[in-house]
Amino acid sequence: MDQILEAPSPSIEAGSRTTIESRSLSIWYGKKQAIEEVSLSIPRLRITAVIGPSGCGKSTYLRAINRMNDTIRGCRIAGQLLVDGEDIYAPGVDPVLLRRKVGLIFQKPNPFPKSIYDNVAFGVRLHYRATRAELDAVVEGALRHANLWVEVKDRLKESALGLSGGQQQRLCIARALAIDPEVLLMDEPCSALDPIATAKIEDLMFELKRSMTIVIVTHNMQQAARVADNTAFLYLGKLVEYGATRQLFERPRNELTENYITGRFG
Amino acid sequence: MSERAAQRKALSKGLDRLNERMVTLAELSELAIRKAMDSLARRDPVLAQEVMLLDREIYALQVEVEGACADLIALHAPVARDLRTVTTSLKITTDLDRIGRYGRDIAEITLQMVGRGGEPVSLPPRLREMADLTIEMVDTATDAFVKRYADTVRDIMIVDDKVDALHQENFRDLVGRMASGAVDVETGARYLYVNRYLERVADHAVNIGERVVYMVTGERPKPPADQG
Repeated sequence: MDQILEAPSPSIEAGSRTTIESRSLSIWYGKKQAIEEVSLSIPRLRITAVIGPSGCGKSTYLRAINRMNDTIRGCRIAGQLLVDGEDIYAPGVDPVLLRRKVGLIFQKPNPFPKSIYDNVAFGVRLHYRATRAELDAVVEGALRHANLWVEVKDRLKESALGLSGGQQQRLCIARALAIDPEVLLMDEPCSALDPIATAKIEDLMFELKRSMTIVIVTHNMQQAARVADNTAFLYLGKLVEYGATRQLFERPRNELTENYITGRFG
Repeated sequence: MSERAAQRKALSKGLDRLNERMVTLAELSELAIRKAMDSLARRDPVLAQEVMLLDREIYALQVEVEGACADLIALHAPVARDLRTVTTSLKITTDLDRIGRYGRDIAEITLQMVGRGGEPVSLPPRLREMADLTIEMVDTATDAFVKRYADTVRDIMIVDDKVDALHQENFRDLVGRMASGAVDVETGARYLYVNRYLERVADHAVNIGERVVYMVTGERPKPPADQG
């Protein structure tokens, strides 16, 4: 394990302000340690990919950023996780307010069994008091932002479950965008989608990163190579290598990274 | 077998096949320049004709390697060392093809000299020495590629300096001998060509060496300070 690096690579562009920073973050599920002392600085308004074989802790790491692991029994955390400089596991931090700032998109689209409109309006109704006209504007804005408006504008009252898989995933993104998050976490957002729906989500990510920070977990290395500015490689819960995506895929510094991305294991 | 393991197996097989072709290409190019110089030293038209044949084989193999590299990129999207192996092979084939082409050029000079008849003029000794050093460079460079070994590349650079010095010396020597009438102008002029071709072959060997360093380490060797 001495091959595993502790410090992030200096190739991460200097000067871009950090949105998310973990300092010696460790996470356990009961006795099993899923994340081991991971220190990582994720820059603002960039797409950062987290890659690694199944069970390496990449989803655990991602879910820790909006405290989604809180709901799992026996989950314990040590170290620090800062979002905008604030320790999100400090006493008194309200996870609901944190999740307003940090949205999460799941692997499988999970729209509520409600209308398209109500899906997008859901979070807004939860967090804010809004008039009907304000709500209409937010829903339209979020659907436009998620590149879905043109496809659904004439059937906003229809069930979201009638949409295709790709549309459902963009609806879930619109639902997250409606409450104006600063960070969007995406946990294998395209693994249930066909290549065309995947391309639409990836295009959307490029548009969204102008206004928010995106962290994506993916097992698809080519997707990481296509979309991410920076990539972190996790193995057995440890951070092995973190750097500019181009450098990581052309000239990885670590033998483990090399062997993983070239398909020699995992 | 998992999908990733199956992909790796297919890519490995493709890379192995590419490597076999590259090794053959490297051997043929080295053989071409070696035989070309022998044909010149011995005024041997049969050997010269063999070089012509080798050049055609080298070209055909180069085209094959280019196709294999394009297939690997299109079908397997290689990354890291795999990607560097493919891109390096693609670049090196051009160098190897050029070396084969210079072999043919030298073999043509052999045929022209044989065609002219007359008393054979023996190969200038420094030209023979330069040819030996150049062939040694090609040998080291192609061996570094085959064995994925970057450490010997430094030796290539040192030998290249000697080749460059010999190139200058040969030029002055041949011009002097042509001026004094020790060598007739046409023969001297042809040797000047050979002198130039060998110097170019040595440069291609240096290119190959530098690309092997990139392939193995991911770092590009820094150019010498005096070249900026």
